[in-house]
Amino acid sequence: MTDFLRRLLRTPQGFLGSLIVGLILIAVVLGQWLTPYGPADMQALARYGAPSVEHWLGTDQYGRDILSRLLNGARSTVVMALLATFIGTLGGAVLGTGSAYLGGRADEFIMRTVDAVMAIPSLLLALLVVSLLGSSSANALLAIAIAFMPSMARISRSVALAVRKQDYVSAAIARGEGSTYIILREMLPNVIAPIVVEMTIRVSFAVMLFATLSFLGLGAQPPATDWGLMVSEARQYLHRSYWILLWPSAAIALTAIGFNLLGDGLRDALNPRT
Amino acid sequence: MTNSSQPVLQIRDYSLAYHVPAGPVPVLKGINLQIERGEILGLVGESGSGKSTLAGAVMRYLSGNAHENDGGIFLGDTDLRAQSQRAMSDIRGRRMSMVFQDPATSLNPTLCLGEQLAEVLIRHRGLSRAQAWREGEERLAHVGLKTPAEMMHRMPHEVSGGEKQRVVIATAFACNPELIIFDEPTTALDVITSRQILDLFAELQSETGVASLYISHDLALVSQTAGRVAVLEKGSIVEEGETGELFRNPVHSYTRALIDAVPRPERRLVQPLAAASATPLVTIRDVSVSYGRKSLLDSILRRDFQAVVGNRAITLDIRPGEVLGIVGESGSGKSTLAKAMTGLNRFDGLIEFDGRPVRGLADMNRDYRRDVQIIFQHPDASLNPRQKISEILARPIRLYGDRTDGPARDRIAAMLERVRLPASYIDRYPHQLSGGEKQRIAIARAFLSNPRLVICDEITSALDVSVQASVIELLMELHRDTGAAYVFITHDINLIRQIAHRIAVMYRGDLIEIVEADRIGDSDRAPYTQQLLAAVTSPAAALGG
Repeated sequence: MTDFLRRLLRTPQGFLGSLIVGLILIAVVLGQWLTPYGPADMQALARYGAPSVEHWLGTDQYGRDILSRLLNGARSTVVMALLATFIGTLGGAVLGTGSAYLGGRADEFIMRTVDAVMAIPSLLLALLVVSLLGSSSANALLAIAIAFMPSMARISRSVALAVRKQDYVSAAIARGEGSTYIILREMLPNVIAPIVVEMTIRVSFAVMLFATLSFLGLGAQPPATDWGLMVSEARQYLHRSYWILLWPSAAIALTAIGFNLLGDGLRDALNPRT
Repeated sequence: MTNSSQPVLQIRDYSLAYHVPAGPVPVLKGINLQIERGEILGLVGESGSGKSTLAGAVMRYLSGNAHENDGGIFLGDTDLRAQSQRAMSDIRGRRMSMVFQDPATSLNPTLCLGEQLAEVLIRHRGLSRAQAWREGEERLAHVGLKTPAEMMHRMPHEVSGGEKQRVVIATAFACNPELIIFDEPTTALDVITSRQILDLFAELQSETGVASLYISHDLALVSQTAGRVAVLEKGSIVEEGETGELFRNPVHSYTRALIDAVPRPERRLVQPLAAASATPLVTIRDVSVSYGRKSLLDSILRRDFQAVVGNRAITLDIRPGEVLGIVGESGSGKSTLAKAMTGLNRFDGLIEFDGRPVRGLADMNRDYRRDVQIIFQHPDASLNPRQKISEILARPIRLYGDRTDGPARDRIAAMLERVRLPASYIDRYPHQLSGGEKQRIAIARAFLSNPRLVICDEITSALDVSVQASVIELLMELHRDTGAAYVFITHDINLIRQIAHRIAVMYRGDLIEIVEADRIGDSDRAPYTQQLLAAVTSPAAALGG
């Protein structure tokens, strides 16, 4: 494990990715206690403030401290993105592994369905789900999870096909194990490594998708501190103070970059030969 | 170019270690070797003893983390360690060459055979393309290929494994090198083919007088090919000497253990069956297996579909408590039959187990699954790397155990003791165990369900010879204790003659014949059986009984 960490931190992308993701996670966990102001505290006299000593990142149209709102919003944005990716990955992995295990006609049916779903762009699919179920954070989460499932199913199937041919799977079939046990206990743990890498990279997509949905008014609703929503609101006041728009956008970009770099680092660390 | 008194290859005080994150791992320790002109030196050792690293060191083809001491490696009077990469690439192929284990991977699959052979001649002997091509044809004719001109134009996948290895050997001999290194050249080949390759090798060797380093783990084979043998144990040469002398009077305990571990057909390890029981345990009637499935597109387009035949109408029976050996070359359908019997393949026909008919997967109920167990060839592949031994061994207990036998953990511990593994292994992962230990776990898993028939599919062929002997010993002990019948699939005929009551011979999906183990050498056997037996290197003859 320590050997693995050392390999991860030795590559520049792994180091940088771990650093950024580490900082973001600190904001997620401790954000509430680090904020000097409450996320909804309005100060009528300090509206549209540029960065200053009292307000490091400035204030927005109601005089709310942007840094406080960003730290507060980290929780909803990042946690939701992680959760959506996790659910999507798990669903896709079980689907792909099951498909590889069943083989034959069932495999054909599942994978062609997955292909059909994949033909719809993920944002469009997410929009479709949210407009069907109504706009809320929980529905946005579900929408992103569903949008991620097909590609995850495809990746895990390709790995699971190799695992399917291993003798330990044959041994399990020969001793009469049920399909559920074989898929979940024999096969899934052995396809997990490439999936973890893919999952880390996907988190950045999820962060951006969430922001997009909130920006379009289909995710979190005001006065939530969701980053996408903050960008959406700030858009109207761009000519008064561009700081309101800049900071949440930068936060989204930084999170996406951080998870992407971490994913690249993980891929190299898990595959010492590349 | 070298004077005749000088050895062709000389290795002096050579040591090598691989640097890994955990520190240096010594692989070769103080190796001293020399090979004279026209001599074959056999290098014997188990896996991990450093045989292939030594070959790599001589060829100057080592991985980046290898660190050498200042020992010397000389080819004639050339100091190989002082050569630059450029000079080495000139020496390789011209003055020394190498034949690898698997001809399927040592030939480039995208180039035709002639091109690969001609390349060596053009590169090292400066021939023109046309000359090289003509010379190549001659070379191929020389290694016993019947239609060399056509062979030159074929791609590697269009010829058989034996023919590929002949081409590789032709390439190795192409520039009349001083030294050829053979790294297990017959391990990937079938018995009969490898016998032919060995005969060819002996012929070419005596004709050209090239010095050879012959690396192998197969003692019986080395005893017939090499004039002198060096035994490598954990990176050190523990014994070296003239072949006959070394095999008759081994001095070092390791050599003795190795020689003792070689299976000898006359030393039977199994008691005769008490009484030929009238009712067989398993009856197999006309079982056929074919691979492939007619696809929807094929049926729409009315295309003909040709299924690959795995087994053709196999009929045999297995008596209670019997050890039935199944031998045959790779692709003869041995494993296919085993898979059909354990429900891993669809089959047509009838399997009757203890009087109960089984016509397909649906008929294989829990009792059948419990009574029929299979052990696979590669223990690395048959144990899930992500599960602890405790979980692996708990499954058969969960599936078929009755609760009265006490807690699962106690039963696992008792079973570990029976397969002679420490009880502390229960919380380990498979990768923390050696190959032989892993195979013992696989055996323990099969026997935890108290089976009545155990199918052993080549279970010793991935193991070293000394480990193989102890695994066989364990199996025979369990056979005595449990009285389970075995189907023992192998290509090692010396081994099967030791342990089987009857031997079934298979060839390309057909069952040729079933004979009593002690009658397999008789002269009225089927021609294929006789051919198979003749190809086997008998250790009795080689090791002086």
